[in-house]
Amino acid sequence: MRAVRVPEWRMGRVTGWLSFCLVAAAAGSAVAQDLTVVDLETREEQAFKEASAVVAPAVVRIQTVGGLDRVGRILTGTAATTGVVVSPDGYVISSAFNFVSRPASVLVTLSDGRRFPAKIVANDRARMLTLLKIDVVGLAVPKTAPRDGFRVGQWAIAMGRTYESPLPNLSVGIVSALNRIWGRALQTDAKISPANYGGPLVDIQGRVIGVLVPLSQRQAGQTAGVEWYDSGIGFAIPMVDILGTLPRLKAGEDLLPGLMGITLKPGDVYASAAVIDRVRFNSPAEKAGLKPGDVIVSVDGQAIKRLVQVRHALGNKYAGETITVLVKRGEKSVEQKIELTGKLEPYTPVFLGLLPVRKKLGEASDGVTVRGILPESPASKAMIRPGDRVVQLDDKAVVDLAGLFDAISRRRVGDEVKVHVDRGGAKQMLTARLAVVPSEVPAVLESDVIVAPDPKPADLPKTGRFNQDLTGHDHSFWAYVPETYNPAHGYGLVVWIHPGSDTMEADIHDLWKPICDERGLILVGPRAKEIAGWSLNEAGFIEALVQEMQQKYRIDSQRIVLHSYSDGCRFSFHLAFKYRSLFRGVAASSEPLKIAPPENRPDVRLQFFFSCGDKDNLYRLVQQTRKRLTAMKFPVVLTTVPGEGHSYPPIPVLDAIARWIDMLDRI
Amino acid sequence: MMGTRVISTVLTLLAAVVAWPSVAVGQSVYSTIQRVQQRTVKVFGAGGIKRLHSYSTGFVVSSAGHVATVWSHVLDTEELIVVLADGRKIPAKVLGAEPQLDLAVLELKGDDLELSAWDLEADSSDAGPGTRVLGFSNMFRVATGDEMVSVMHGVVAAKAPLTTRSGAFETSYEGTAYIVDAVTNNPGAGGGVLTTRGGRLLGMIGKELRNAASNTWVNYAVPMSELKLPIQQIIAGKYRARQRGPDETDAVARFRPLEFGIVLVPDVLFRTPAFIDRVQPGSAAATAGLQPDDLVLFVNGDLVQSCRVLKQRLGRIDAGGTLKLTVRRGDKLVPVEMPVPDKPLTPAPGQAKTKPPGGSK
Repeated sequence: MRAVRVPEWRMGRVTGWLSFCLVAAAAGSAVAQDLTVVDLETREEQAFKEASAVVAPAVVRIQTVGGLDRVGRILTGTAATTGVVVSPDGYVISSAFNFVSRPASVLVTLSDGRRFPAKIVANDRARMLTLLKIDVVGLAVPKTAPRDGFRVGQWAIAMGRTYESPLPNLSVGIVSALNRIWGRALQTDAKISPANYGGPLVDIQGRVIGVLVPLSQRQAGQTAGVEWYDSGIGFAIPMVDILGTLPRLKAGEDLLPGLMGITLKPGDVYASAAVIDRVRFNSPAEKAGLKPGDVIVSVDGQAIKRLVQVRHALGNKYAGETITVLVKRGEKSVEQKIELTGKLEPYTPVFLGLLPVRKKLGEASDGVTVRGILPESPASKAMIRPGDRVVQLDDKAVVDLAGLFDAISRRRVGDEVKVHVDRGGAKQMLTARLAVVPSEVPAVLESDVIVAPDPKPADLPKTGRFNQDLTGHDHSFWAYVPETYNPAHGYGLVVWIHPGSDTMEADIHDLWKPICDERGLILVGPRAKEIAGWSLNEAGFIEALVQEMQQKYRIDSQRIVLHSYSDGCRFSFHLAFKYRSLFRGVAASSEPLKIAPPENRPDVRLQFFFSCGDKDNLYRLVQQTRKRLTAMKFPVVLTTVPGEGHSYPPIPVLDAIARWIDMLDRI
Repeated sequence: MMGTRVISTVLTLLAAVVAWPSVAVGQSVYSTIQRVQQRTVKVFGAGGIKRLHSYSTGFVVSSAGHVATVWSHVLDTEELIVVLADGRKIPAKVLGAEPQLDLAVLELKGDDLELSAWDLEADSSDAGPGTRVLGFSNMFRVATGDEMVSVMHGVVAAKAPLTTRSGAFETSYEGTAYIVDAVTNNPGAGGGVLTTRGGRLLGMIGKELRNAASNTWVNYAVPMSELKLPIQQIIAGKYRARQRGPDETDAVARFRPLEFGIVLVPDVLFRTPAFIDRVQPGSAAATAGLQPDDLVLFVNGDLVQSCRVLKQRLGRIDAGGTLKLTVRRGDKLVPVEMPVPDKPLTPAPGQAKTKPPGGSK
């Protein structure tokens, strides 16, 4: 019997051991895997803490006192911000955003608790950084991560000192992309916000990859990119680049983005070749001899096959840097060294002084016929007469008004131009010396009153005064269209932007009806959603309104203007700057300009008519506005109403505005 | 007999091997998630109009059926429902609350619930910046029906007080909080938990909060070190709600700059820096050495952003003792001290004092 049991027992033992081994192996590997996971997670966490601890002594807390409470549309904060020590003798780099409120005083607290008042030494306006100096020596400077080590996907730890805590606040992410914002920054998905703007982005080895700043690839400006805070998209300027510019910043030199002074022919940025359209007056490009029509073939040795590559090539260059540009001019190849500048001279519009005949619908265009000559103008001095038909300007044939606008916009003040006209069948060549656009409106300007069409067309749109809701928008407007509306003629469009709390409908209608009838103008009075006043994001409604009028009526695009009074002007300036290609002028009464205007452009005109009573509290500010706009070379007329305080302009001034509008299509 | 011994040895070894993971030093995130999910519940109550969400999250703090959650409008109803991790829907009522901690404790109605619960004593922990964390919550009500709550990952960004004395945050909780580097504080996430990857309980996810000083949203959790005791006391029926201190904004201003001999520049801007215009001769400020053009930066260690803030601070200091100021004079920071009078003279509103209370100490 024992002999029978022994083999069974042995079999059981073997099976037992086998199953034990299998289960142990399975459980063991599961445990081993579990432990490996735990081990890696713990080690990574330890690495985050150690990397930030290595850099923490160089991360400083920045507090500001005083300053503006709002810049543009951003409320400035009062929370503590962050900076990084870049030099043992007391230089600290931070994000320019932290000083956008222009504080009265800046304080830096070191990691060891010592506090110092700080001086702003210089700004890098291309990379949005600010350099501070405090009066201390012997500071610890962190190690810099080398550029060839940057890898998309590497750990990136963002550090800040916004909270009251001895330890810096952290956010852990990865490097998401290199060479963003036209080559200026790297991108991370760590949470970047005012909690760490100005602080370091650190790699897992405790080296500083870069300094965190808000940026946007679409716009420049002090607050650009802030709306992306904590979104998973954040930017850091590589520390290696900052150290390269440090000597210039330390010397107190503000660094500006480098400009060449050219505009390229519009086209598909990803497909078209880079052809120069205009060269700015006195710009580095002009001084180097570049000309319209040149095709940019390479910049600094990098081949340019597409328009957008020019932006990439210039994107991270500073004013004062020199680039090498190779262009093709016809069959020739020309290479030039160009030193980039920080500021270009503003474009100055020229003035000839002739008023063109307004073509009716269907009339053929063969040159530009003169309907009037402005007094004391270069055209009058050149003896050009009403009735003359301009057919050529210098060596360029003039086919229509658009062609003449374009040709004249490429000239400079003081240039002599040869105007070829057809006078009663005979050809004449007259010479004119172009002048600056005058800052006065002539006392008299005749107008061609438009008569009603005969016979009356069946599909005439609404005329007279009427109310309407704009389809698709939660807004309404009132309008006045002259009863004699004739669709064969182009009408100017006056967009009346009312002040807060008062649409002034009845008054505006009564005052402007005769002007509209006389000068061929259509008036629209959009109404703000809230009676208290306009909100800037109602701009879309105004754009849609103008487009609606352009569809229903024949609108002359050269005479679309905004007219406003008092606090309505703020919105009208915003609209004029936002929709540059839509509005040709702003007639603003009793309100100064408080925002920075964009640069003047040769291809789309923008002119200003200001009126203000000299007893108005704002009169001095309106005068300053005129000075500021004139310095930027915008044509500005300022009419003072003697003895008047803050009130809507009287009829003589409205008549002057009407003449001004009638002249907007002048050459 | 030998066979039985072998088999029992094998079985013992097997048991040990299988039990090993729970004895291991740390736990992987997967086992943590499984455990924590079992203890996290969904809370449904009042709301659902005008962007007030009608749901939040909670965590089980006793196996008998107590749930800790965030004190919010959701609890303002007779028909409060808690949905457990296994899908059971249980009615609940508010047992007790401490609004100053963002805290409420619910009692589930029912016997023999036998829930998987946190052991607040044994499971709670603290952590510092950089510690990897998980957040569990029913944010946005993504978990429908029987589904488990959502899990996010991140790190502790900071452990710091939420309010500064200037009242930057609009919240009822005013203590030290975990600021989280993850978007944990979403609608409905309040009452969820923040844990380490190893399963240690760090804190309760708070409400949606905006830092008025930096104009940004903040993700925070109230630490368990603040919540442990109140939760236990509420369950035991022994909790006494905190008394709120006298509202500081209602207090009449106790001291004004003029009483120390300080005349500030005219406060015309939104944030006029607190520059000293004149120092009255013979006053406490003159004795302390303050000069015209000094910029007052710190009052008793707190930064002063503007004239307005300086007046607010002085309005709140206590009588007696010392006033410590730090001023900026040129490029230097100069600390000064001056005595605070014992009996503050509080003039009627609108009346300016012209004589400082010299020599009253």
